[in-house]
Amino acid sequence: MTHDVMRLSAQPGEVIDRARHVRFTWNGAPRRGFEGDTIASALAADGVRVFSRSFKYHRPRGLLTAGFHEPGCMVQVDEEPNVRGAHRRVRDGMVVCAQNAWPSLRFDVKAANQLVGRFLTSGFYYKTFMAPPQLWPAYERVLRRFAAGGVAPTTPPDVTYDQRFAHTDVLVAGGGPAGMAAALAAADTGARVMLVDEEPALGGHLRWGGAAQLAVVHELRNAIAAADIEVLTDAVVTGRYDGNWIAVLQRGLPHVTERLVKVRTRSLVVAPGLVERPYVFAGNDLPGVMLSTGVRRLVNLYAVRPGTAAVVFTANADGDAAAEDLARVGVDVRHVVDARSGGDIVRARGRGGLQAVECAGGPTIECDLLVTATGWTAPTSLLNMAGARPVYHPEAARFLPGTLPDDVLATGGIAGDGSLEQIVDHGRETGRAAARRLAGSRAGTANAEAAAPEGNAQIPALQVQRHPALFKGTTDGFVDYSEDVTSKELVGAVAEGYDSIELAKRYTTATMGPVQGKLETVNTVAVVAEATGSDVERTGTTVWRPPYAPVSLGALAGRIHEPVRRSPMHSWHADQGAAPLIAGAWIRPDHYGDPPAEARNVRDAVGIIDVTPLGKLDLRGPHVPELLNQVYVNKWSKLAVGSVRYGVMCAEDGVVLDDGVTGRLDTDHYIMTTTSSGALGVWEWIENWLQTERPGWQVHVTPVTTAYASMNVAGPRSRELLARVVDDVALDPARFGYMRVRAATVAGVAGCFMWRIGFTGELSYEIHVPSGYGLHVWTSLLAAGRDLGIRAFGVEAQRILRLEKGHAIVGQDTDGLTQAYGADLAWAIKLDKDDFAGKPELVWQRARDDYERLVGLQPVDAAVVPPEASQIVEGTSTIVGRITSSRMSPTLGRSICLGYVAPHLATPGTRVTVLLPGGVRIPARVMPELAHVDPGGLRLRAEHPWDGATRAVPSAPAIARSPIPVTEPAGVVDGWYVGTHRSPSPLRLSDRTAMGKTWIRAPREGAIAATLSPRGRAVRMADGSLACGFGPGEWMVLGPSADVQQTLDRLRELATESELVTVIDQTHGRALLRLTGDDAALVLSKICAIDLHPRATPDATALRTQVAGVTTDLVRDDHGGEASYLLGCEWSSGQYLFDEVLAAGAEFDIAVDGFGP
Amino acid sequence: MIELHCPNCGRRNVSEFRYVGERHIRPDPDVADPTTWRSYLYLRDNPAGWTDETWLHRAGCRRYLVVERHTVSNEIRSIREAMPVVASEADAPHAQPGRAQSGGSGESA
Amino acid sequence: MSPPRTRYSALALVRRGLTTTPWPRVWRSHEIAPTADVVIIGGGVHGLATAYYLAVNHGITDVAVVEKGYIGGGGSGRNTAIIRSNYLTPEGVAFYDRSVKLYERLAAELNFNVMFSQRGHMTLAHNDSSLRTMRWRAEVNKLQGVDSEVIDPAEVKRIAPPLDVSNATRYPILGALYHPPGGIVRHDAVVWGYARAADARGVRIHQQTEVTGIDVVGGAVRGVTTTRGDIAAPTVVNCTAGWSTLVSDMAGVRLPVSTFPLQAAVTEPVRPFLPTVIVSGTLHVYVSQTDRGELVFGASVDPFTSYSTRGSLDFTEGLAAHVLQLMPQLSQLRVLRQWAGLCDMTPDFSPIMGVTPVQGFLVDVGWGTYGFKAGPVAGEAMAQLIAVGKTPELIAGFDLARFTDGRLVGEKGAAAVGH
Repeated sequence: MTHDVMRLSAQPGEVIDRARHVRFTWNGAPRRGFEGDTIASALAADGVRVFSRSFKYHRPRGLLTAGFHEPGCMVQVDEEPNVRGAHRRVRDGMVVCAQNAWPSLRFDVKAANQLVGRFLTSGFYYKTFMAPPQLWPAYERVLRRFAAGGVAPTTPPDVTYDQRFAHTDVLVAGGGPAGMAAALAAADTGARVMLVDEEPALGGHLRWGGAAQLAVVHELRNAIAAADIEVLTDAVVTGRYDGNWIAVLQRGLPHVTERLVKVRTRSLVVAPGLVERPYVFAGNDLPGVMLSTGVRRLVNLYAVRPGTAAVVFTANADGDAAAEDLARVGVDVRHVVDARSGGDIVRARGRGGLQAVECAGGPTIECDLLVTATGWTAPTSLLNMAGARPVYHPEAARFLPGTLPDDVLATGGIAGDGSLEQIVDHGRETGRAAARRLAGSRAGTANAEAAAPEGNAQIPALQVQRHPALFKGTTDGFVDYSEDVTSKELVGAVAEGYDSIELAKRYTTATMGPVQGKLETVNTVAVVAEATGSDVERTGTTVWRPPYAPVSLGALAGRIHEPVRRSPMHSWHADQGAAPLIAGAWIRPDHYGDPPAEARNVRDAVGIIDVTPLGKLDLRGPHVPELLNQVYVNKWSKLAVGSVRYGVMCAEDGVVLDDGVTGRLDTDHYIMTTTSSGALGVWEWIENWLQTERPGWQVHVTPVTTAYASMNVAGPRSRELLARVVDDVALDPARFGYMRVRAATVAGVAGCFMWRIGFTGELSYEIHVPSGYGLHVWTSLLAAGRDLGIRAFGVEAQRILRLEKGHAIVGQDTDGLTQAYGADLAWAIKLDKDDFAGKPELVWQRARDDYERLVGLQPVDAAVVPPEASQIVEGTSTIVGRITSSRMSPTLGRSICLGYVAPHLATPGTRVTVLLPGGVRIPARVMPELAHVDPGGLRLRAEHPWDGATRAVPSAPAIARSPIPVTEPAGVVDGWYVGTHRSPSPLRLSDRTAMGKTWIRAPREGAIAATLSPRGRAVRMADGSLACGFGPGEWMVLGPSADVQQTLDRLRELATESELVTVIDQTHGRALLRLTGDDAALVLSKICAIDLHPRATPDATALRTQVAGVTTDLVRDDHGGEASYLLGCEWSSGQYLFDEVLAAGAEFDIAVDGFGP
Repeated sequence: MIELHCPNCGRRNVSEFRYVGERHIRPDPDVADPTTWRSYLYLRDNPAGWTDETWLHRAGCRRYLVVERHTVSNEIRSIREAMPVVASEADAPHAQPGRAQSGGSGESA
Repeated sequence: MSPPRTRYSALALVRRGLTTTPWPRVWRSHEIAPTADVVIIGGGVHGLATAYYLAVNHGITDVAVVEKGYIGGGGSGRNTAIIRSNYLTPEGVAFYDRSVKLYERLAAELNFNVMFSQRGHMTLAHNDSSLRTMRWRAEVNKLQGVDSEVIDPAEVKRIAPPLDVSNATRYPILGALYHPPGGIVRHDAVVWGYARAADARGVRIHQQTEVTGIDVVGGAVRGVTTTRGDIAAPTVVNCTAGWSTLVSDMAGVRLPVSTFPLQAAVTEPVRPFLPTVIVSGTLHVYVSQTDRGELVFGASVDPFTSYSTRGSLDFTEGLAAHVLQLMPQLSQLRVLRQWAGLCDMTPDFSPIMGVTPVQGFLVDVGWGTYGFKAGPVAGEAMAQLIAVGKTPELIAGFDLARFTDGRLVGEKGAAAVGH
């Protein structure tokens, strides 16, 4: 193969590196280019003229713009479809194929469409294939075969994506002369500036200009390199969203294929330049017909000769320059048609490529290149996204920006015309104005307001030069190259009645292809305007929607952050091969191999289940009983210290919201449990009552869900087991009865509490252990109970047991409309209370009799288990109920269910018909109670006398463990098992969970607040601990130990009598990480949206935000001159957060450090 | 991504907050007739313009906030904490009832 | 029923192709007439279908459809064009099933190919509770004669090979509700087909005409004021989406509606590879591939109310993350365009159809995310209500009074359970 047949000698502004060849293949054949070539330029240099087949008619297409918006060179690169071949740089080993052609680019079978093209006009499919209807699927299969585009891979490709957040004062979209000048001027004022350009180098259209332009480029580039400006090249601003939230898609990075940068900018300067507009005439899509900018790019950037003999049709200076460029490099410019003096071209002729041009009133000239320079489209997409509508200027024959919002400015070609000097001046003024707008918010303090916007008035406007209105010639041609829509089709659509721009667009699909109107919008509007007898102004444009340029799904997704929560016993479950159950963010053990056996073991001996995900709220203060009365349907005024009660919550519409137990640990101290999935919702529901409806109530609510490892020990031998590991609680039923709670030391771990409840229907103790000791207590119980037959059980066995006992699950045995009486909760509802959430609806529900009831059900055939959601029917198809829960009961050896039935079927003993999914109908009986096993509750009360004989089993020493797996070497420090490795790396992540954490709630202002730290700050205390003001009236003291009582006593002295002060040891409630090193902020910027610039987040800042999707306490706490951040999150998310920070730091060579001073 | 200027935490992405819904008054449950109560449960002004809403700064200060927002432009005009009810105040703040006015079922197709 | 004025057919296409005779107009423009039997506010699929069925089924042709923009420019042109009937409640299933039946014969009836592609609709389950809800839906569907079944992951893979059904994902696919009659339709064609057929029967379609007031006297509607003139009419129907509360407010009727944007996006085209419609409630995404090769995505409504249709980046980010969890091989596909429509959400995720306290003022609103699917049946039922003066059984449960009577529709049950 001969290479470089069209390659020119060295050009002054060329971007190729002739010393470095790049080899790739094109449709299977080896090809060669230079480093810096685009796919298109390398192929064009090799003499390729046809790059693709068009979408509908499969016409051969060549290069038109040779740039980012090139419609004729969408190619498949390796497994990647729809690559912009005129923008993507060639790389060694690339496999490039043409799209939309079969069997080959040269001979494409579907090119036959051209012959029947007259019948395939826009929307033809709406008019045919309707009869006979049964043939439509066959028609559709044929139609689908004509879908254009590349091929989606079938296996995940080897590409990586990520994202990061950025914060700028001024973001400049477009690195041409105006954009560069704007960035420089803004940076001069001290503003934080980012400059983005889609090309690999700055310069815009100057890059393909002459010596004078190149000199300006070099000067501006040097100034930018010297300024404090973050420059992103090979990067596209793809969208401007509400709040000046900007998406930038970046390529050409060392560690990732593509990165989406999400920028919060105070001002956006839009400087994209102009897009050259094609001219509509017959044959305007023949390979060899090019725009002037396309020709100049090929010649000047890539040193490629676009043809050998040319005709130039020009209406402006760029067309003239193209003619000069061509003449300079030896192309035979046979004819220049000047539109400014009335010249026009009629049609381009040729088969498979341009052969001749027919000029108006003149000769037909043989040539292989026709250059058109007929005007510009202002790519106002980003302005549209900011709510601005472009305004048409007839004298300039193009749209210009309309009224802009205060935080968006436009400069450069999009804003008007002028000499290079004037454009640069305008850019500079625009950059200054953009920076001025934020003078007031510079301080970086959270509450500073932006200065009043000054408007665009101060920027001298650019002139708008006259330009002939050239859209369509005297013949019909293609308006939309990507979608294969001709002017004739648009005119036809208008004549049919699709006579507004939106309808014509939708009907013909013009502007809806990959270029999204960048090339064709104005021509489309012009053609529709002409057809409707209107003008461009009144016809208006369609709305340009994001993205500005297509964005890969991979970049949009970035690294996918899906928080995972794990219990402290997670590793044990995994070691036992537990089948995982994904429940929201939690991963729980569903079973350990044999759920019925696990359930039987609970009935016969003793079992233990990990119930850590149960929501737990610590409630303190004098008004807790009032709060409980408000949110639960039952009564709470008389709950004694040491007692526990089951409660049901309803929403204001009377629908069951959640349930759980609440125990009173002390006079003003309660613990509430919620369902696992309801934990967050209930907390927020309670806070809503306290903050907005009942602000007079003094209650502090603290979520402690994962501060405790929770485990339920259930079965007739559970009391015997506990007696072996608990020595400070009397367990005999007379002293620790059903529904009682006790503080306890379990297996040597103090600070536990446990209560007797009976979800499984057995004698059982739910033990809540400070999380760091969860695994220790769990394994101690298993060891102590070995001879009693202890066995872990999973969620599935628990489901069986609770169903045997008839305990409903909110969300399974109730749904989004189940009011409390329907769920058989009449016993709990106390309508004589003054007020509680949902009370009116329950009053009215009780008065009705039309609601479905939750009942126990047993199929007559004990061997049949109706699948959950089986319907209960009457007659052939009337639905009168459904099964909500069903299992085979290991205890009873028969199938058991819960379900809803219509009121007339709710009487115990009624026979109902259950329709199984296979269609079989089976009879079932309504039971007298929900409970199938032990309805009287004798088993769970287990009040038979107990001699209290125990066989004390010594536990291993209690060692606390962080939720983050320890990296060896490791050892025990202060009772914690921690890593002891010291890393010398400049960027280090260490687990500081073992640090004491004291949670304090107190009045926002007053003595305590003054002693601790102001909100938003971290203050080093006299004892070396760090007091962090994370919220209003809320502090976390991080220090060597958490002596809660001592802290509380000290604070009580400061507080007045009426002030509620709460101190809780959260050492086991929170995981804590420290990230240290100069790159720490960069690492965090990939997973945290907060502005970490020292101006916004200086040393000693304390705040709460989201990191990798997890609510996180963040403290900047520099050490020894190094930037350092503390990150705290819920215990259960600790490992997830640690892994996410490590992953974010991978490109910065992050190292794991041990726990140390 | 709009920002809410939290009175406690400063400017934060809206994704840190949970939208609760239009603010409205909870009727006295002991005297409310079904029409009154269900108006409270279900009826919304839903204006195309400025409206007072309740938001929760879930990932920040965890305070319920009263936000004055324009529902067409999504501009925020004012934002403050849902302060304690003052009985005599005509427009005393009240909360959204029940589960959050949902952003819809997860599945829409 | 009188046929449209010019029949579309393959033969007609060939004839026009050879002779270059222009096609006749699909619908006409009219001056505003001072009176009408019925004024329909909203020129989307609901309004136009109502007008069409009034004319065809009941012979009522003195009908004005008033549209403030261009027809089909609201929700009808912004949805993801998915059609299905596998709802949860018997009333929901019966209603949407009728809609599917109407869609099946719509191309032939309207002589306009709406390209209803019944390629199957698959709702994925990633946890036990959604699997349970799907079984619930399947059982209710089957009792109503609707083809719908729960299938296992192997079957999911057989029907939709691009899906990752391994256990290696964060949210493994445990099964799916498969609904063979579901599919996609060309949404614009449905609007245009109804408009053309209604126009042919005398219905007057007024584009670029905004209703600025509704005239109510003594508790009864008298007509509307528009930007192009007044129309007196004894019956006015609110068939708007996104603006339904604002339009009803003009008549003094308050609605339990909150308006949320619902966003959608489309990728660049690729060769056909995805045979069915895929929905994942847990991951909040639905996706199908059009005949043009583009993937069309949608998600749940935005997290807060708004009348903005500008679209957000978080939406496309979430969407991409979720699609890639289902089909990780698609990371290099590019999102070409995103847009938003407005959804009027009701407290029970069900529409509000029928009479209001103002006599003669009817509503067909509150469609949430389901409006497009229901266009034909809603039009048919509303037309019947207008013509006969009695609420058809099929929509009786969707009345406005249910919110004061405490009779919410149970579709919310599924939403609450299936999240």
